[in-house]
Amino acid sequence: MTYQPTTYYNSRRQQNWSRNQNTARFSSAVKLGPVAHTVLVVLMVTVLGLIYLTQATRTTSYDYQSQAIESQIADLSTQKSDLEVENARLTSLNNVKNSNVAKAMTTPSNVQYVQQ
Amino acid sequence: MKLELIKGSRSRILAGCLMAVAVLFAVRLFYIQIIQHDYYQQLADSEQIKRLTIPAQRGMIYALSGSQPVPLVMNETVYTLFADPATVTDVQGIIKTVESVAGGNARPNLDKLLTTPNSRYQILATKLTTAQAEAIKKKGLEGIGFQQGSQRVYPEGGLAAQTLGFVDANGDGQYGIEGGLDAELKGKNGLLQSVTDIASVPLTIGSRNVKQPAVNGKNVVLSIDRNIQSYTEGALSRQLTKIGAPDGSVIVMNPQNGQVLAMANWPTYDPSTFNTVTNPSYFNNSVISSPYEPGSDIKTFTMATGIDTGAVTPDSTYNNTGVVNIDGIDIHNAPGDTQFGNITFQTAMNWSLNTGFVTVAERLGDGQNITLKARQTMYDYFYNRFKLGQLTGIQLAGELPGIIIPPSSPDGNAVRYSNMAFGQGLDVTMLQVASAFSSLVNGGKYYKPTVVAGSVDEYGDYHPAAPETPTTYIKPSTANQVRDMTHVARTTVFVGADRPGYYMGGKTGTSQAIVNGRYSNTDTVATYLGYGGTKNETKYVIMVRVSGPHFMGSGAAAAMPIFTDISNWLVRYLNIPPQ
Repeated sequence: MTYQPTTYYNSRRQQNWSRNQNTARFSSAVKLGPVAHTVLVVLMVTVLGLIYLTQATRTTSYDYQSQAIESQIADLSTQKSDLEVENARLTSLNNVKNSNVAKAMTTPSNVQYVQQ
Repeated sequence: MKLELIKGSRSRILAGCLMAVAVLFAVRLFYIQIIQHDYYQQLADSEQIKRLTIPAQRGMIYALSGSQPVPLVMNETVYTLFADPATVTDVQGIIKTVESVAGGNARPNLDKLLTTPNSRYQILATKLTTAQAEAIKKKGLEGIGFQQGSQRVYPEGGLAAQTLGFVDANGDGQYGIEGGLDAELKGKNGLLQSVTDIASVPLTIGSRNVKQPAVNGKNVVLSIDRNIQSYTEGALSRQLTKIGAPDGSVIVMNPQNGQVLAMANWPTYDPSTFNTVTNPSYFNNSVISSPYEPGSDIKTFTMATGIDTGAVTPDSTYNNTGVVNIDGIDIHNAPGDTQFGNITFQTAMNWSLNTGFVTVAERLGDGQNITLKARQTMYDYFYNRFKLGQLTGIQLAGELPGIIIPPSSPDGNAVRYSNMAFGQGLDVTMLQVASAFSSLVNGGKYYKPTVVAGSVDEYGDYHPAAPETPTTYIKPSTANQVRDMTHVARTTVFVGADRPGYYMGGKTGTSQAIVNGRYSNTDTVATYLGYGGTKNETKYVIMVRVSGPHFMGSGAAAAMPIFTDISNWLVRYLNIPPQ
C-alpha cells in the first residue's frame, strides 16, 4: 500500500508575509539639506498657525453675531413688555369707566332672567 | 570649511554674552511661567473673565375679571440717565434735552451736576421709559449713558393696594402678596461667567465659561376679582366719607372654596408711590393684621356651638330679664332692649341680646353656670373648629393671630367665657371671622382662606390651583339652622334692604374699642357679617368693619349699609337669578 504525499497548503497570509513592507525602494534624486528641512518645518508651522488663527477668529466673529442677536432679542422683549404694560393700562377699569362707550351706558331699570 | 570661534576673540565673547542673556531669559521665563503660573493666571483671569448676573424677572401678579386673569402688577423697563462730567462737551444741550424729555423724572440743578469738579458719575434722571431714553439717545450727546433697570407698575392704580404690597429699593417684597410670596415672585438670578473682550462681549474661547440661565419668578393669579374689588373699595369709601368715619375694611369671600374675592381698606395708598406715604399704617391690611374684639358677630358661633352639641335649638326659650349674673358680675343687654320675658334664642339673635348667648354658654355646662366643661366645649368650637384666634396661613405678609384664652389659663374663667359668648374678651381678625362664618353658611365645611387662585405660565396660559379641601366640620343641620337664624335676623330688623328674590342674612356687631389697654367710651368698632345668594346655595360672604379714633357708630348704622350696597350689586354681577 502506497501513500500519496500530502499536498502542502500555503495560506494567503504566508504567501503575502511581507505585504506590509516596502517591496520596492525608490530613491529620490532630490536631496534636501538641513536648511531646506528647517525652512519647510517653519513654513508648515506658520501655515498651521494661520489656520488656527483663522478658525479662532471665526469663532469670535460668531460670538459677536450671537451677542448682536441676543441684544436684539432683549430689545424686542423689552418692547413686548412695554406694549403689554400699555395694553394693561388702556384696558384698566379706570380707563374703561371713563371711556365714551361706558359714559353712554345707562343703568337698567328692570332686569329679568330667562330660565333654560 | 569648518568655522570655529577663536578663543578670546570678540566674537566668542559676544556669543558668550548672548548665551548668558538667553539663559537669563530662560530662567526668568521659567520663573514666570512655571513657578508663578497660578499668580499670573489669576491676574489674567481677573482681566479677561467676567462674572455677569443674569437678573431673574420678578413674577407678575394678576387678579381675575370673572374667570380671566388681568394684570395688577407688571414689570416695566426703566432707565437711569447718568453723565460723566469730565467728558461732557455740551452742558446746555444736555440740560435742554433732559428737561424737555424727562420732565419730572429729571433731577434738579442739572447745571451744577454736569459741572461738578473731579466727578465721573452724576445721575441726571431716573425711571425714564424706553421711549424717553430713545429720544435722548437720538440726540447723540457726548458724556452721557444709560443704566437699564426694572420697576413694578400698577395698571389698575391703587386697586387692592394692601393686598398687593410693594417692592422696596432693595428688590424685596413688603406687605401683602409681595411680602408673603416674595421668594416665589423673585425667582433666581442666573450667572454668566465668560472671557470677554474690551467691550464686555462674552466670547466662547476658554474652557471655564459658565452659563446658568435665570429662573424667572412665578406669575401669581389672585382670587381677587378686579370688578368686585373696585366696587367694594368704592362702597367703603362712599360710606366712610358720608358718615365721617376714619377707618374701615371689607372682605368678600366665596364660602364654597375659601377664596377671597375682595379685600378693601380705607384710607389707602398707591403702591407706585409708596415712598411718599407719610403714615405707615396705610400699608397694613387691617383685615388680617388688626385683631379686635368682634362683638355680636360672635353670637352666631356661640349659637352654632349650642345647636351642634344639642344644648339648645333656635326655638328653645329662656327668661330674659335684661341682665344675667356670672360669678358676681352683672352682664346687661345693650340699651334699648324691649324683648323681656320668655323668649326664643331666635329672638335673642334678632335683637342681639347678650343675655341669650350667656345662657347658651351656661347650657353648655350644667344649665346654671359656665362650668369648665362648658368652657372647654366653647374653646373646642371657637379655636379648633372655627379656627379663631390663630393664623389662617393666608399667603399675605403681616397676618396676626389674635388670641382666645383657653379654659386651662387662670384668665379663662367663667366671666371671660360669658363675655366671649357675645364677642368680648377675645381678639380675632376679620379674616378669621369671615372664614369661620363661611363654614356656617356653606353647610358646615371650614375652608382655609386663600388669595391665590392659580398661576400664569411663561406662555400666558392660566392654570387654576387645585381646589382646597375643607379641614373641619360642624353638622350640616347646625350650619343650616344658624344660616336661617341670621336670615330671619336680617329680614326682621332691616326690612326691604335687599333685592327681592334672594336669600341674605347677617349679624350686626358693635363693640367698644380698646384704647391703651382700656375700653374706650368714645371709640367703637362697628361691624356687619353677612351672606347672600339663593336659598339653595350661598354665593358670597361679606364682612364690614368701620372704626377709628373717636368714631362712635353702630354696626347697623355704619357697617350694614356697606354690606347692603355691595350685596345688591353683587347678585347682579354674579348673574344670580332671583327665586
